[in-house]
Amino acid sequence: MQKPVIVLCYRKVIDNRSVKQWDKLVFDSTYLEFKIQAQNFSQGTAYTSYAELMRNVANARRLNGMVTPSATGYIQQLGSIMPDILNNVGRRFLTFSRFQFEIINSDINDKDKHQVAVNFYSAPLIWHDTIDSYLLISDHLPENQPSAEGDTITTNLMQLQPYVNISSLQYLD
Amino acid sequence: MERKNFLKSLVIGAVSTSALVEACKKDADTVTGTTTTSGSSSSGSSSGSTDSGTCSVAPTETEGPYPTHSPASYVRSDITDGRTGYKLTVKITINNSNSSCAALPSALVDIWHCDAEGNYSEYGGSGSQSTNYTLVHFLRGRQTTDSNGLVTFTSIFPGWYTGRATHIHVHAYNSSGTSLKVTQIAFPEGTGTALAAVNGYSKGMSGYTYNATDNVFSDGYSLELATVTGNTTDGFVLSISLSVPA
Repeated sequence: MQKPVIVLCYRKVIDNRSVKQWDKLVFDSTYLEFKIQAQNFSQGTAYTSYAELMRNVANARRLNGMVTPSATGYIQQLGSIMPDILNNVGRRFLTFSRFQFEIINSDINDKDKHQVAVNFYSAPLIWHDTIDSYLLISDHLPENQPSAEGDTITTNLMQLQPYVNISSLQYLD
Repeated sequence: MERKNFLKSLVIGAVSTSALVEACKKDADTVTGTTTTSGSSSSGSSSGSTDSGTCSVAPTETEGPYPTHSPASYVRSDITDGRTGYKLTVKITINNSNSSCAALPSALVDIWHCDAEGNYSEYGGSGSQSTNYTLVHFLRGRQTTDSNGLVTFTSIFPGWYTGRATHIHVHAYNSSGTSLKVTQIAFPEGTGTALAAVNGYSKGMSGYTYNATDNVFSDGYSLELATVTGNTTDGFVLSISLSVPA
């Protein structure tokens, strides 16, 4: 019986309370870009907030895609290693190749209202076991599927935590 | 049995303390206990989220690589991104209509236009366009005006799509990102023009909307009409001055 393969999604929320250097850079860059791009939708209206634009202006949802390029340079600097999520010995270990940028809130006139999220999707992982609130996982490689007695697999123990979701599950066999 | 092996390899791999390894050999439960303890100190934890405000397992590794300032990937002079077509150099000069039309330095200028087939990047899925290009931003770029108010882009001559004359979108902002002007650049028409030379690429010009009947340009476009020189072999150069209130 092969172990199921999962993809983890970490939704990293960034706002004016964020303290890490990377988060602040993403905050500033995406706010400037939001302000720049939102004016393509707000011209001729009194709307300044993302929520108002979404409710009242056709296609304002495009803003998510239009603001994304202001974050991609920073996401590339992560070198495909997911930030913040640690294994139980305190190391970052999850790799990602996909992300999705998301505007949660913002306002052309009020930077403090700016709140965004980067959704990081992990590379596929083999889910071996669950120990208390910890997932025992390994990279999704053929040699990491348990096959014979005595096989050794390199694994990571990771705590289930807020803002981390199992975004897909695949049964093999 | 299986689980014990996991824990064993975990501990051996992660911590090379012989005492722990011994403990592990003797009794897997001890290790589980240890894990639980360290877990509960970080529990509630949450870890990753900047929002949680509770404690989390602190990284025990070198911080880095340190993030450095990275401009939006719109910021580039060559916006071609592999789109094929006749080369077009776009030279836009921004003047300040509130200051005797003096050159406006340090203004941000965004341009975007469609490719040879008439498709835009980032607008897939909408009614007017079926090809999905939402994940790329070809033929979009941003430059900052120099002391002469000039920005230069390298691109391709735009194609056309139903209902519109050939055009390039321009959005000028001041250095802090406040909008100064949204406008479009129109192309000269008729014999000997670049538009005639490109001849709509593979589409031809059947069904083309000319400036006089274009719903954007038909109310007058003399201030939006560019000068376009060149030919299909060497490429074209487009020049225009736009006055904006700054």
